[in-house]
Order: sequence, then structure tokens, then C-alpha cells
Amino acid sequence: MAPGSDEPVAPAPPERIGLRTHPLTGLVQGGIWAAAVVVGLVSSTLSGDGWGNIPIWLTLVIAVVGGLLVGEALGFLTWWFTRYVIDGTELRINSGMLTKSSRRIPYERIQSVDIAEPLLARLAGLAELRIEMAGGKNSRSSLRFLPLAEARALRRLLLDRAHGRTGEVHDESSEPPEEQRELIAVVSPERVIIGTLLSLDFLFAILALVVVLVASIWFQQVIAFLGGLFALGSWIAQIVGKRVLQQWGFTLSRDSRGLRIERGLLSRTSQTIPFDRVQGVAVEEPYVWRRLGWQRLEVDVAGYATASDDNTTSTSSTLLPIADAQMAAYVLEQLVPGARPDDIERVAVPSRGWWFAPIGWRYRWIGSDDHAFVARSGWLQRTTDVVPHHKTQSVAMRQGPLQRMRRVATLDVHTPKGPVDADGRHLDEADARRELFEQLERARAARFGESTTTRRPPAGG
Amino acid sequence: MDDLFAPPNGNWQPVSPRLATLRRLLLIVPIAVLALVAVVVLALLVAWWIPVVVAVLAVGLGLWIWVWAGRNQRAWGYAENADDLLVTSGVMFKRLVAIPYGRMQFVDVTAGPVARALGIATVTLHTASTETAADIPGLPADEATRLRNRLTELGETHGAGL
Repeated sequence: MAPGSDEPVAPAPPERIGLRTHPLTGLVQGGIWAAAVVVGLVSSTLSGDGWGNIPIWLTLVIAVVGGLLVGEALGFLTWWFTRYVIDGTELRINSGMLTKSSRRIPYERIQSVDIAEPLLARLAGLAELRIEMAGGKNSRSSLRFLPLAEARALRRLLLDRAHGRTGEVHDESSEPPEEQRELIAVVSPERVIIGTLLSLDFLFAILALVVVLVASIWFQQVIAFLGGLFALGSWIAQIVGKRVLQQWGFTLSRDSRGLRIERGLLSRTSQTIPFDRVQGVAVEEPYVWRRLGWQRLEVDVAGYATASDDNTTSTSSTLLPIADAQMAAYVLEQLVPGARPDDIERVAVPSRGWWFAPIGWRYRWIGSDDHAFVARSGWLQRTTDVVPHHKTQSVAMRQGPLQRMRRVATLDVHTPKGPVDADGRHLDEADARRELFEQLERARAARFGESTTTRRPPAGG
Repeated sequence: MDDLFAPPNGNWQPVSPRLATLRRLLLIVPIAVLALVAVVVLALLVAWWIPVVVAVLAVGLGLWIWVWAGRNQRAWGYAENADDLLVTSGVMFKRLVAIPYGRMQFVDVTAGPVARALGIATVTLHTASTETAADIPGLPADEATRLRNRLTELGETHGAGL
């Protein structure tokens, strides 16, 4: 059925040819490429000494103008050859100038749809739609750029159809019905800034900067230390930029399918984490934050590790950048119902393990209850990894020669690639073996939906 | 603890001794050739005792590889249980990995030219996690095929998605 007919942007085309994305796409995408080309040309000009006999300023001008032209032309051509089609069973994105490619996205395979607004696009009121499909390496498709309202409407439509409800394409005049979303957490900007300032790598970088400054003044060799100062300065700027700019205005809300994260100062991203794609949650508490009761949550979502977009709007695995313990526990409960890492029965590392981690051995333990497997480690940055039993992939036990001497072994609970790393290192070997088989059993029971408590034989026969 | 890496019931299925033969062939032959060339060249260029030292070292390395190949092959084992597959390996760095059938995504059988000539193959299991790293080398070719078919079938019947 042909979509809505009175759009000012494009007349209703027959479905075979498909709809165009917004015409400014060419300008915006071209702008991004133009910037890259200009930077490349300018830096090569500056490092060399110009082309032939042309004076430097002229080569710079040529480089900038040329870069802009090339970038914009590429952007325009890409836009011209990109079309998308929405029909009864799938979304198709056709693109390519020389080699035509048609990306097919059947509705049932859509896992989540994110909206990203890189800075340039945001200035033009446009947004990019990122569609995540089930399985495989090429599971991420993106459609650039649509007006923001249209992008949101399209997201609604795709998610509805992915869940089996037929939806109609809304043209820009009608309002999409409000989803029932419950706001869970808003991280205030001051928290984000203070959290970044108190985070370990920032503090370390500042310390290093102070040391280098003092050394350069002491030895009166400022020039020699200048390189170090620049490197450290840019590292600090990068940390601040990445954390603060990416996590500004962090809002976490929940609907029936999953959690929705909205964040970003200059470029905004709206990302959905479907509940059933969550493979594990990692709770991180750097030393200084622990004193203040703050935690950071990271989530391991199937498929996110293979994403490699540009840094500012890439899909981040940060679930909650900074929150107090109560909020963090609440969010954890949403994703891994029933898991309470603090009250779990623990299997600790025996004192024989001090060889391998002289300070950290005291703080390591594993445990599990009916719902999840929990592993804790770390004293400078305390990490708690929570893996729901039904998401356990495989379980392994390892023992090297030194470990054999001390009668300890390491237990690994495997999950897909991501921030969660649930392993119990240097546990007593009998404990490791017992936990391996018990975890296997719990994972089996969870996969089949049984409760593990009913399977234990009643005490006393 | 002696039976730390013993299977919970029954015994480990061993892999074929031809795995040791494969490893010995692939490692000792190139080393022998290199050592021979080195000895000849050195004998022509430098004092007589240097090539002797090289030859002794090469023989020592060859013997060590011979022994290692045998021990390593004997350390591989697998066990098919009702719901999962256990694989153990390693002499110095021992490892035991348990993979539920429902978590297997796909199963590969691979064999290089020398392995094919010896009639053995490697079965590799993949799950959604890259850390699983479960492979069983040195299986006789028909056992490898049988295992692969059985695992694929079990993976389908127990399949738990992601």
C-alpha cells in the first residue's frame, strides 16, 4: 500500500522505486566527509612544503575548497542513489552508485531501533535511524537522514511491526501515539561532571600532568616536557569529552519491550535495550565513588560488541553512567529480576590464593542464587558481574602449573563479548569443580524454565 | 586433587594417537631440515664444534617435541553427556569446558592436508561467546563426522536461542 500522499518533501512514488531520505542528507553527510578530506589535505600540505611553486596559503585554500567540493559531491551522490521501501514484510534499503546493494530487513528479525543525531545532522533537524537485527556480523543497518519526527514515527512503525502489530505509516502531520514509557532515572549534568572528575583515569591523568609539570619546572626543561604535556592534555580532554559529552542529559526509561536510553550533549542518541537481549550486567565502583556510594552500570547486549560507528554516537554499553546504590539496584532488578548481589551466598578465594593477587584476593568471591551467577573482584575498582542463569553460554575451569601447586583453579562463566567478565579466579579447586557442575545444572534448569529449588531432593529422604 | 579434571561419570573418550604423529611430523621435519642446513653451512664456515652444538640442540628439541606430542595427545578427552558436552585438554595448563547442547550455534569439521592423509580431523564448536574456544583435534574422520552430526541434531532439539 503506497504510503501517505501529501508530503511536501517527496511525492508518493510507486513502491518499487521507494522513498528518498531527506534531501539535506547530502549536505550533512557531505559535510562530515568534507571535514575529513579537508583535514587530510591540510595536514599533508602543512607537513610537506606545498605543491611545486604555488605559495602555501594558496595550496591551503585549494585544499579546503577542494575538500569541501569533493565531500559534498560524494554526499549528494550517495543521497541520490539511496532509497528505502516499506512493504508488508520488510524494510529494504537500496543504495550504491557503482555497486548496487539492497539491504533487506524483515520485520521479525528486528531487535531494536535506535535514533542517533550527530551534531551536524542535529543542527539541520535530522536524525539517523539505526536498526539492529538478530544475529550475524552485518546486523546493523542505518538510514541517514530523516527529519526527527519522521524518524520517530518510523521507529514506532518498525517496532510495532517487529512485534506483530500492523501499523500505518504516519505522515508528518499526525502525531504518533505516545508509548507507555515509565521514566526510571535521569542523571543530572552535575553528577556526570563530578563523576568524571572523580573517576580513576581522570584523577590519574591529572596526577601525571602535575608530575610532568613539576618535573619540567624543576629541571627547567619546559620544551622537553612539552610533548608529554600535550599528550596528557589531550588524553584528559578526551576523557572529559567522551564521558561528559556522551552522557550529558542521560535519561533511562522503560517500556514493555526494554529499556530506552537517551543521552548526549551535542549529538544525541536514543538507544533501546530489549530485555531479552541482555546477557549480563557489570556494576563498577571506582575507589572514590565507593566512598560516596555511587556506581556505574554496564550491560552486555548480544550484538553490541561488533558495532564500530563513529565514537560520539556509537552504541555504548553504558547502562547507567553514575547513580546511587539504590537506583542502581532498582535498574539491575529490571534487567535481571530477583538478583541481589549483596545478599548472595559467597564462595571466597582461599588465603592460598594470595600468591596470585596479593591485595585483591580478599575481595574476590563468586556466588549464585536462583536467578543469576555473581562474580566480584577488585579493590581499586570493585566490579560485580551478574549473569542470569539462562544466559550462560558455556562454563570452563582452568588450572596452570602454579595453580596446581597451590591447589587453586579458575572458573569461567562464558558470555558473549562485552563488559561482563564473570569468572572466579584462584578459587579452591574443589570449590571450582563443584561450582562448575552446579552452574551447568542451574543454567540447564533456567533454560527449561524450571525452578532449581524444586529439583533438590527433600532433606532427610 | 587427582580427579579434578575427571568427568562426572564414566571416562574421557580419548582422541586418536595419530594426532601425536601429525604434530611430530609437522614440527620435527622442518626443524630437522633447518638444522641440517645450519649444520652444513656452519661446518663450512666456522670451527668444528659449533655445528656439533647446534646438532645436539636440534636433537634435544626433537626429542622434547616427540615426548610433548605424545603427552599432549593423551591429555585430550571429551564426554557426551545428556545435556552438554565436556572437553578437557592440556598437560601443564589444564582446561575443562562444558558446553550445553542448546547453546551450540554451529559445529565445524576441519582437516589440513597432512591430517587428511592421516585420517583425522578437528571438530570445533561455536557458541555466542568467543571465549568458549572448544575444539577437539585428532578425531578419526568418521568419528568426527558422527560427532558433528550428533551435535548439530542435539543443538537443534535443545536449542535455546540467544
